[in-house]
Amino acid sequence: MTQPVTIIMIEDDEGHARLIERNIRRSGVYNEIVSFKNGTDAMLHLFGADGSGLVQKGNALLILLDLNLPDMTGIDILRQIKENKYLKASPVVVLTTTDDSQEIKRCYELGCNVYITKPVNYENFANAIRQLGLFFSVIQVPPAAP
Amino acid sequence: MLTVISAGSVYLVDKARQDSKSVVHTMEVENQINALLLEIRRAESSARGFLLTRAENFRIDHENAVAAIIPALDKLTRQSGDNPAQRENVEKLSAAIETRLGQFKQEMDFIRQGQPDQAAALIREVVSTEATAAIAEVANAMIQEEERLFRLRTINSDRSQTLAASMTGVGSGLVVLLALISIWLVRRSALARDEAERRLREGYANLESIIDERTADLREANDEIQRFAYIVSHDLRSPLVNIMGFTSELDELGNDIFRRIGSLAQVPADGPPLAPTGPGEIALEGADKQLSEDFSEALGFIKSSIAKMDRLISAILNLTREGRREFQPVKIDTSELIETIVSTLAHQAAEAQAQIHLEALPNVVSDRLALEQIFSNLIDNAIKYLKRGVPGEIRIRGRTKLGYAIFEISDNGRGIDPKDHQRIFDLFRRAGTQDKPGQGIGLAHVRALVRRLGGTMSVSSELNAGSTFTVTLPIAWNVSNRNADR
Repeated sequence: MTQPVTIIMIEDDEGHARLIERNIRRSGVYNEIVSFKNGTDAMLHLFGADGSGLVQKGNALLILLDLNLPDMTGIDILRQIKENKYLKASPVVVLTTTDDSQEIKRCYELGCNVYITKPVNYENFANAIRQLGLFFSVIQVPPAAP
Repeated sequence: MLTVISAGSVYLVDKARQDSKSVVHTMEVENQINALLLEIRRAESSARGFLLTRAENFRIDHENAVAAIIPALDKLTRQSGDNPAQRENVEKLSAAIETRLGQFKQEMDFIRQGQPDQAAALIREVVSTEATAAIAEVANAMIQEEERLFRLRTINSDRSQTLAASMTGVGSGLVVLLALISIWLVRRSALARDEAERRLREGYANLESIIDERTADLREANDEIQRFAYIVSHDLRSPLVNIMGFTSELDELGNDIFRRIGSLAQVPADGPPLAPTGPGEIALEGADKQLSEDFSEALGFIKSSIAKMDRLISAILNLTREGRREFQPVKIDTSELIETIVSTLAHQAAEAQAQIHLEALPNVVSDRLALEQIFSNLIDNAIKYLKRGVPGEIRIRGRTKLGYAIFEISDNGRGIDPKDHQRIFDLFRRAGTQDKPGQGIGLAHVRALVRRLGGTMSVSSELNAGSTFTVTLPIAWNVSNRNADR
């Protein structure tokens, strides 16, 4: 990665967050991970107090998004990210328990870049996250639009 | 009522006519008496005239008058025949008249013989005799009698005419009254009918709205159950990921710990610790080994339980997803559809030494995917639960009846105990020897699909005697049917 990429993890379940983080680290990705337990805090961080997204200007972000959040749906967050001129170029990885085909289709339509269903089987889960980490280590992330 | 009234008035009118006829009769009788008296007087006066003048025309007149007396008397006799009192009078009168006629004859004879004195004497005698007086008296009595009768009959006639008139009046009044009553009755029944019709319409509309309400309620309840099942199964998954995840972490951790214990146990108490080596390289001994095995066993149970729970949750999720899927009715070549299923199951069938016989099947309009799931589940079950060591015979038959297609999938497998026939359709419930993997979902799913397709399904089976699953589906199912059902 040419520029330090910050991984924004929006995940309400602390256990999941911990498992994800651990497995990403195991794959050798040591980028900064900023995690949020609810949608409101994440939105505030991404879009700033004015909601324009200007605060992230020039930052390279990779967003890990859970769809089931206590205060809002991840779909809403996804839509707003993809509609924001500063954030829309940031890759969004939807990482959730839902494997409903309708939901998956909707996320891709809204511009999500990768959709991963969390496997309950931990080996698969760990594998998936590690591979995601490997993926993170090779993909190019553009900085938020100038 | 009307008949009585008309019969009454007819009778009364008839009576009035008879009454007036008798009045007329009375008048005729009176008239006849007067005519008779007149003839007698005429005869008398002409006899006198002849006596005085000897004129031939008086004689002729007398003879005419005498000739007229007898028929007049006869007529009177006939007319008064109905009244006994008058008949007596008539008899007296006719006796008197006969006497008088005899006298006339004598008079005339005297006159003809040229003895006018004798005749005049006779006349004088006659005037004083009874005959004339009797005639006058009887005639008078008769006239009086007839007048009495006349008065009586007039009154009678008047009364019966009045009666007839009033009867007719009453009858007309009654007719009008009856007409009014019937109009009122007709109006009342028409009103009652309108009211009943209105109520019926209201009831019908009410019923429809009640049905709509209930249907909406049921649909809402059903949707809620679906949502509930979906959310619960979905939200249960999240903690399960954690449990599974950290159990695995714990497993790793356990391995690390026991490796360290092993390495520590092999190192002399005072020596420097050895660097940890690869897994499995250090064999644990005694109590340590026991601990490690217990630890692994516990984690193993936890993991298998979690895996099972995950499968159940996935099953519920799939079921709710199926429940939410919109069906598309299309024309389906059932034989082709089942042949395809049979060919995909050919490997399993060969392994179980099963022969699948397909007979002619009726085509239906239904949802293709649902039908595939129904038949593949049933055929898969038939192959799966054959008797060990007995070559399988699976038969698929079809027929139609009253707009429904009936499919039967029968096998010669292990069969199902009749007490379990209901149970096998319940979610997560199975029956018989549990020697095959399965979640107890297939038949529950199949039955739910069949129901959604507007059909029914049943099983007939005995233990060790094979099973027959019967699926009844509407030949032409359409979405509107289902929407009406839902």
